[in-house]
Amino acid sequence: MMDIVTTGLMTHLESRQIGSRFSRGEGGEYYLRVPGDGIIEAAGWLANREDLALIGIWAVPGHEKDCLELYYAFELKQPSPALVMIAEVKNNQAPSIYKIFPAAINFERRARDWYGLDFTSLPDTRRLLLHEAYPADFHPMVDSDPETLSSNLATTEYSFKKFEGEGLYQVPVGPVHAGIIEPGHFRFSVIGETIFNLELRLGYKHRGLNKLAEGKTVAEVNKLSESISGDESAVNACSFSLAVEKIAGAELPKRAWELRTILLEMERLYSHLGDLAGMLVDVGYPIGASPFFILREEIMRWNATFTGSRFLKGAIIPGGLSRDIEDGMLQKFKFFLVTFSRRMRKALSDVDESAWVIDRFETTGIVSPELVAPLSLSGPVARASGYDGDTRQLHTYGVYTGLKYTIPVKTSGDVLARFRVKAEEAASSIDIISETIARCSPGPVFSGFDPGSGQAIAMLEAPRGRNIHWLRVKNGTVEHWEVITASFCNWPAIEHAVINNILPDFPVINKSFNLSYAGNDL
Amino acid sequence: MHKIIRNIFSRKLSSVKDPTTEDFEITGLQLKEHVCRVFGRSLAIRELDSGSDNSAEIELNNLSTPHYDIERFGVSFVASPRHADVLLITGAVTRNMQEAVMKTYAAMPRPCWVIAVGDDACGEGLLNGSYGVLGGADKVLPVDFKIPGNPPAPLEIMQGLASFMESIRQPKA
Repeated sequence: MMDIVTTGLMTHLESRQIGSRFSRGEGGEYYLRVPGDGIIEAAGWLANREDLALIGIWAVPGHEKDCLELYYAFELKQPSPALVMIAEVKNNQAPSIYKIFPAAINFERRARDWYGLDFTSLPDTRRLLLHEAYPADFHPMVDSDPETLSSNLATTEYSFKKFEGEGLYQVPVGPVHAGIIEPGHFRFSVIGETIFNLELRLGYKHRGLNKLAEGKTVAEVNKLSESISGDESAVNACSFSLAVEKIAGAELPKRAWELRTILLEMERLYSHLGDLAGMLVDVGYPIGASPFFILREEIMRWNATFTGSRFLKGAIIPGGLSRDIEDGMLQKFKFFLVTFSRRMRKALSDVDESAWVIDRFETTGIVSPELVAPLSLSGPVARASGYDGDTRQLHTYGVYTGLKYTIPVKTSGDVLARFRVKAEEAASSIDIISETIARCSPGPVFSGFDPGSGQAIAMLEAPRGRNIHWLRVKNGTVEHWEVITASFCNWPAIEHAVINNILPDFPVINKSFNLSYAGNDL
Repeated sequence: MHKIIRNIFSRKLSSVKDPTTEDFEITGLQLKEHVCRVFGRSLAIRELDSGSDNSAEIELNNLSTPHYDIERFGVSFVASPRHADVLLITGAVTRNMQEAVMKTYAAMPRPCWVIAVGDDACGEGLLNGSYGVLGGADKVLPVDFKIPGNPPAPLEIMQGLASFMESIRQPKA
């Protein structure tokens, strides 16, 4: 389908005397090179298709010296490769496409921070990931010398949006929160108890992973990818490995992908169980939450049995898996899942019978379905608001093609919808795991390969949604690595979801999203 | 409603844990003994994430879930640094978090201790050399004890806390 879109786009650009050059990437994705000012015309044309979403913008040093290129990635809501448009940047200036695709704002702010690019007419030019501790003219991806950074503390203050009026007051929260949570700042403007506006400020955990990866071997960067977000270790390692394997043209043994699928679904399972428990804790129902905490702990112990790590770290490596999982163990796990699934259903039905819990969840924190496309939302957050896409189907990988599983979709967009979507996804993960174990083939779990050179995009469905890794490798060394986690696009949805809710409901709304701070800040 | 009534009157179902054989229980009781002696029954911990990948936070949260329930041993996680005896810091200190880390430490009543949890906070992680991080927690704060791991499992954190308590009961000469 994307080929029809691409051909249409090329014809359109030609009619406007804009030249474009087409090529296929190692990962099967389409690349379309356009001149720097052609991107507005192209984006405008693409925006006519309602099933097309902007899923990422990133800058990459060009093949020639001192030249930057901007990559714009688009996805169709049907099984089809991604379209990546490449536009050359002239004089460090590029047009902002936020008026056509609103999700572009944060991508462009990120590229602005990292490369010092000037996006004309970008409405928000505050820094996104680099805070006051960094000098205004420091751009890590081009100034490679961290020695220029002193350890001086901030002198200027970040300018939050100002709201004034009778009875309106502000509640600043964070970066250090009261619970055991990651750091981030929330600035609430409140009237009485009702939230009038929320402004997020993240980036506190910015560790500079992308820059750190440059010049490292693929094995080293694979380790780094596991620390993007601790509870998404498997999916990030798998996304990175998939990109490496696409570049190398490596063929994996079937068993490697079957075991990877099991691990990826175990990650989704323990992650969702934690979210379900968290939501119940945040409405003051610890009795209801305990069964989910117990179930999650059991899966984490199985993680450790299978891989040696409770977070599945070190298991997935480019070329397959670092170690095999015994068939006997898998059968035991499959047997365990039968009672596990019964206990999970019991815990869920207990929640359903607690009318007051449902009352707290219902109509709380609504993300309206109209927001899904402009904000480029994905994962359970989008599927609770009527979006029926899932990367496992749109960009299928591994053994998912041959599996039967349901992808739950709800339309109300409230906390209850997200609770239900996550609960049903957890059940669907159990089915996938059982079915994969039942048909697991014998054989090796690793095949050696020569990393080679090239570039490729890899997209996987993380527990939180669409996970994108874009990689350029030269002779086995990483030249450029770009990561867009689902959290990056989904965070702004919270600003919309909380409006007109009461401040005490914020924790449960936030937990129903359960986005990653580390995965956003990189 | 009938569920609540049934729960109250029915036989209690819970697996029996033998405190003499399970590692976690043994460590927990040791820890409790130390805590009773040094802190008068309760050790208040303030957790601070200075740039971890969130896995250490998940394990620390797990300590309060039914399988572990660390509060039985006199350890509680508190909401404010002003209520804390120990600052438990996870992750390498990012440049963006440096100020918040220092302010949190300054807000603690004295005497207080700092424990680094996880490889990154111990200064042994993968992130060293990045422009975004200053290094381990000891680059910014006086670290008294380190619990390494990527991330340490709940049992390892408990063992670490028990060893920490031992170390402060026998100050070096």
